[in-house]
Amino acid sequence: MRFWQLSLRSFKEIYRDTLALGFLLAFPLMFMLLFGAAFGGDTTPSYTIGVIDEDQTTVSQSFVSEALASVPTIEITTFTETNTALEQLELGDLRAYIVLPEGFGEQVLLSWQDGEADIALNITYDESDLMASEQIIASINTATRAFARIEIPVTINANPINIETEITNIDYIAPGIIIFGILIMIPTSARIMLRDKENRFLSRLLTTPTRPWEFISSYSLSLVAIAITQIIVFILLGWLFGMDIVGSILLAFLIFLLTAICSIGVGMVVASLTKSENQGESLSWLFSMPLAIVSGVWFSVEFMPSYIQTLAYAFPFSHAVDAARAVITRGVGLEAVGGDLVFLAGWAAGIFILGTILFGRTMRS
Amino acid sequence: MTGRAAKATEVNDTFAIETFNLTKIFDSLVAVDGIDLAIKKGELFALLGPNGAGKTTTINMLCCLLKPTGGTARVMGYDINQEPYKIKEVIGVSPQETTLSERLNALENLNLIGRLHGINPRKLKTWSKLMLETMGLAERAREQVRKFSGGMKRRLSIALALIHNPQILFLDEPTLGLDPQARRAVWQYIARLKGDKTILLTTHYMDEADFLADRIGIMDEGKIAALGTSVELKTEMLATHTMIVQAWNLTQKVVSEMRSRYAQVEVDKGSMTISDQRLDFKEIVDQLHAFGAIVRSAHIKEPTLEDVFLKITGKGLRE
Repeated sequence: MRFWQLSLRSFKEIYRDTLALGFLLAFPLMFMLLFGAAFGGDTTPSYTIGVIDEDQTTVSQSFVSEALASVPTIEITTFTETNTALEQLELGDLRAYIVLPEGFGEQVLLSWQDGEADIALNITYDESDLMASEQIIASINTATRAFARIEIPVTINANPINIETEITNIDYIAPGIIIFGILIMIPTSARIMLRDKENRFLSRLLTTPTRPWEFISSYSLSLVAIAITQIIVFILLGWLFGMDIVGSILLAFLIFLLTAICSIGVGMVVASLTKSENQGESLSWLFSMPLAIVSGVWFSVEFMPSYIQTLAYAFPFSHAVDAARAVITRGVGLEAVGGDLVFLAGWAAGIFILGTILFGRTMRS
Repeated sequence: MTGRAAKATEVNDTFAIETFNLTKIFDSLVAVDGIDLAIKKGELFALLGPNGAGKTTTINMLCCLLKPTGGTARVMGYDINQEPYKIKEVIGVSPQETTLSERLNALENLNLIGRLHGINPRKLKTWSKLMLETMGLAERAREQVRKFSGGMKRRLSIALALIHNPQILFLDEPTLGLDPQARRAVWQYIARLKGDKTILLTTHYMDEADFLADRIGIMDEGKIAALGTSVELKTEMLATHTMIVQAWNLTQKVVSEMRSRYAQVEVDKGSMTISDQRLDFKEIVDQLHAFGAIVRSAHIKEPTLEDVFLKITGKGLRE
C-alpha cells in the first residue's frame, strides 16, 4: 500500500534526524518539569456545589437560597440524598457537596441572639483539585459567617473523597502538561510535511499516482508512532515524579492517543494551507499556544469567562484535559468519559477529512 | 469546435504529448502563453530558453503539478485536466531541483518511488540494482543521499524518474549545476534512452539541446518562438554568414571601405566582424590587404543555437 510505504519513509526520516527527534521529546518534557513544579492559579472560578439540607428549617432554607446563592464563585444544586450527590461528585459533575446537619438552623438562631454558637457544616469535596477545594471551603466559610453574623470561623467537617490516595500537585498538573506536550505535535506535524514541501520532495511524490488521503494518512501514521513514544515517556516521567494513576492506564492512554491524532490532524491542515516551514510554524504556534491556555492545560477552564469556556470546549483539548484528569485523579471509567472520547474521535475524523480535502486542493497549485 | 480546440478532444496515437493553447497565468504574470506543441512518441524534444521563459511551468502542467489557466494538453492520450492519475502512471519526472529523501539511502529512495508506482518488490529489487549500476551509484547504494555530491544526486534523481520504466520522461534542467564531466555522463545516459522513450527535456544550455535533441522548441516569455531540428533552426541563420578577422592597422579608411561593401561590419580593437548574405573568405582577406590592413587570422563563424535565439528574441540566452 502506498500510504504504508510513505509512512515508513517519513518514520525513517524522523528517526534518523536525531537532533530533531531529541527536540521532539525534550521540548515537552522540559515544559512538564518546569510547569509541573511552578504552576497554580488565583482567578475567580465558578464551581458547582451540591447541597443536602437535613435540617429543613426556615433558617437553613434561607441560608441556601440567600447566603450560598449569593456567593459568586459557586453554583448551587440541591439534593435530597447524599448518595446521589456523591455519585455526581465522583463523575466530576460536582466539585463538592455540603450537608446542613439537623440543628444547623437552631445554632444560627442562637448566634443571631447572643453571638455565640457552634455552627458545623459537613463538606465532601474532590481532593484531587487542591486549589479548587481550598477556595470552595473558604467561600462557604465566609458566607456562613456572614449569614450567622459571627466573627469566629465556622466548623467545617471536611470529608475529602479518595482519601486512600495521596494526591499531589503532580497528579493534578501532569495530565494537563501531557496534553500540552501532545498539543506541540501541531507545529511538529506541520513542519514535517512542510519540510518536504519546501525542499520540493513533495513535488516529486506528487508526480506519482498517490492520492491525497494516502499522503495525509502516511504522514499521520509516522507521527502517531512518535506520539505513542511521547505518551509512554510522559507517563513514565509522571510516575517518576510521583503521579498516581487512580483509574485505568489504558483509558488514559486512549485519551492521550486520540488527542495526539487531533493535534496531528490540525498540523496537516496547517501544512496544507501554508507553503513554507516558517509560515507553517508561525501559524501553528499562533494556534496551539492560545489553545493550550484556554483548554485548561495550566489553569482550570472554570476560572475563565463563559464565552472562553464555550470556545475552549469547541476544540478537543479541553475535553481531553477533563477526561484525563478524571481518569488519573478520580479513577472514573469509560461511562464517565465516554462522551469526551466520542467527541475526540469525531474531531479526529473531521480534521483528517478536512486535511485531505485541503491537501487535494493544493496539490496542483 | 474548430482547429486546435477540436483536436484537443481527439486522441492521436502518433503523439506522446500534445498541447492545445496551453496557458498559465500567475496573478498578472503570463508564464506560459498559449503554446501548441506536438511531440512524437520516441522523440527527444528539448525546450530551450532562458530562466523564466516558462519551460518548468510547462513541464509542471504536463506532469499535473499545476492546473493550466487556459487550454489543455494530452499526455499519452490522457487529458491533463481530466485524468491526472492516469498520466502519473505513465510518466517519470526528474525535477529541476535534485529532490530526494535526504535521510534515506539511494536504494531506499528507489524503492520508495518504485513502490508508489506499484512495482512489485521482486522486480523492483532487480531494477534498482540495474539502475544503480547504470548510474554508477552501486557502491554508494546504502549511503544516506545527503552525503552525495551534486552530480551523484542528479544521477539518482534521473534514476528515480526511470525506476518504473515510464513511457514518457520529463527532465527539467537535468545537468543544472553539474561540472563538465558529470554533465557529459548524464548526456551519455540520456542519449542511450533515445528512441526507447519519449523525452521532454528543458535546458538553458544550447550545447545540451544541440547534442541531445531530435527537435528543439525555443521558448521565450511563455511562447514557442521557434521550432525545428537543430539544423533547421541554424539554417535560418545561414541566410547571414559571419567572418571574424584579427588584424593590425584597421584604420578608419579600411573600416569605411569594408562597410561600403558588406551589410554589417563591427570593429572592436584589433578584431573586425563582417556579416552578409554571401562571404568569400579569400576575397575579404585580399580586400583587407589591399586597403592596408595586415591580417593575422581569420575564420568563418558557424551559427549556433545562441545565434538563433539572439536573432529570434533579440537577446542572449543568459540575459
